[in-house]
Amino acid sequence: MREHAPCRLRALGMVNALGALSDEIWQGLLAGDQSRLTWRDDLVPGRSLLVGEVRSPLPEIPSALRRYRCRNNALSLAVLLGLEAELAAVIAEVGRGRVGVVMGTSTSGVSDAEAALCHNAAHGVLAPGFDYPQLEFGGAAGFVAAYLGSEGPVYTLSTACSSGARALASARSLLALGVCDAVVAGATDTLCGLTTNGFCALQAVSDELPNPMSANRKGLTLGEGSAILLVTREEGGIQLEGVGESSEAHHMSAPDPAGGGAENAMREALRDAGLTPADIAYVNLHGTGTPLNDAMESAAVVRVFGEQVPASSTKALVGHTLGAAGAMEAGFCWMMLARASDGQIALLPHAWDGRRDPALARLRLVDKGERARVEGRVHLLTNSFGFGGNNCVLVLGGELPC
Amino acid sequence: MGCEGSPDARFLPPMLRRRCTALSKAMLHVAFEGCPAEERSEVRTVFASRHGENKESFPLFESIAKGQPLSPAKFTHTVHNAQAGLFSIASGNRQASSSLSGERDTFATAFLEALTHLEREPGRSVLVVTGDVAIAPLFAPLLDEREAAYAVALLLAWNGEGTKLGFELASGTKERGSRGPSPDPAWPQALEFVRWLHDEGTPRLELGVGPRTFCWQRA
Repeated sequence: MREHAPCRLRALGMVNALGALSDEIWQGLLAGDQSRLTWRDDLVPGRSLLVGEVRSPLPEIPSALRRYRCRNNALSLAVLLGLEAELAAVIAEVGRGRVGVVMGTSTSGVSDAEAALCHNAAHGVLAPGFDYPQLEFGGAAGFVAAYLGSEGPVYTLSTACSSGARALASARSLLALGVCDAVVAGATDTLCGLTTNGFCALQAVSDELPNPMSANRKGLTLGEGSAILLVTREEGGIQLEGVGESSEAHHMSAPDPAGGGAENAMREALRDAGLTPADIAYVNLHGTGTPLNDAMESAAVVRVFGEQVPASSTKALVGHTLGAAGAMEAGFCWMMLARASDGQIALLPHAWDGRRDPALARLRLVDKGERARVEGRVHLLTNSFGFGGNNCVLVLGGELPC
Repeated sequence: MGCEGSPDARFLPPMLRRRCTALSKAMLHVAFEGCPAEERSEVRTVFASRHGENKESFPLFESIAKGQPLSPAKFTHTVHNAQAGLFSIASGNRQASSSLSGERDTFATAFLEALTHLEREPGRSVLVVTGDVAIAPLFAPLLDEREAAYAVALLLAWNGEGTKLGFELASGTKERGSRGPSPDPAWPQALEFVRWLHDEGTPRLELGVGPRTFCWQRA
């Protein structure tokens, strides 16, 4: 293990299909509530699609920032508004120039660009109000920095489904390098025609309730949302303890079936955190519900941890939020740690039909209502495996109560 | 700069090359040129492009608007980390890799992201590959920067052979005239950086938009 500068995850905000308030999302997670997933007929021609859509009203982006006005940034703004006090405090504490912003996204404002092009097809001109910063990937972080008035470095990572995890990894390094004293790091993704039609074209999307790790799994369910964390170089609280990254050198859209890249990233995250597999109290799976992901991930998790580590996929509740998923699921682990008490931590249940696939390595999938007894420091691990073979695994931990 | 066509990327296996976009060919070309063969599978990588596959995505947006099905291969090859995936496959590289975009500061933030990789693993070199091609013509009038088709690769390490550079980041309002030449709309930063790298008479380069200034200095 390398000596790390501390990396505190000081505050968290998120919005997803389960809601926009922390309590609401937490209750949905504990209940394994799949009822918030809804059907949409307007995304893929001739196909009704079950999705994890954010249905709470979104705030309007101020007119001074209208060049950034798009659904993706409105999702980010919904989260920023909930974190306003924390963010204002940190800017006052360290100064604007010492606050960086690293966001992840795989969509940026593509849904608005699609609408602008529909307008163009009908009227021969792009929709009024459409502007390029809504569409370019850099705009996802650019908007957050412009809204906050931060003056530290700003960029957007886009490595498909590992983008959000990677944003937290980069935040930790920016703090360790001394370039920033605080980093606003997270990720946002929006349901849009491009990703829904793209994943349907890849035959990766299920027409049924998400059913990760089941013998009946039919593919992934897409979702949208935003999760943003305030990251500082402070001791205590909930820490980002480990980062493990790998590429697969295998295929542009399919994981290595042997799970070698996933395994390497998990082992690297443990090594980086100075932990052994037995130290991990819970694994938040990538768990997309595609035949290939679940086969390779279950095998890789069992190779690293054995069959006893409690594990679940929360994508069955909010959908696969693609670029946002890594930050979202780190956020779920953050909530578990923040709400743990009396030597007990609530584990997030795995929502599925309970039909084990005999072809998969045998994971210990969490049942509803399960709690784990914990002592001293608690460590949780979350997997994100991106398209193009880009993996990023994070370990979060803290001394209870944190 | 600004010319038509793209490198043929003959080093890629035909199956991979067939699907490659102009941007992928250009970025992979400089990645392979800029990194010695024996290091290609060992370096960490940062792929940076302000616009990514904007132009190649445009027909996909149009297909969606018309309710036509997408080609799975075209979707796969227009994601922002397509070049990272291609490089990993073509060079057998299993190391960490980032793909990013940072508005007009794309090159400077790619350099910074490379430093975050050096922070995570100080003993391993980082290959930074940055490039862009023209965006979809319908969007071009909205752009705040001169367009250029280019790709640049840099191999960075804390120590070793090569040009030694210092790097720092400053914030706050700039005084007018305190910076190097910055035509408006400016060339993409990567090109300004390459120009400076070849101009040994100028010890220092400052780039950056708004309150951010990224400074490089010959050590």
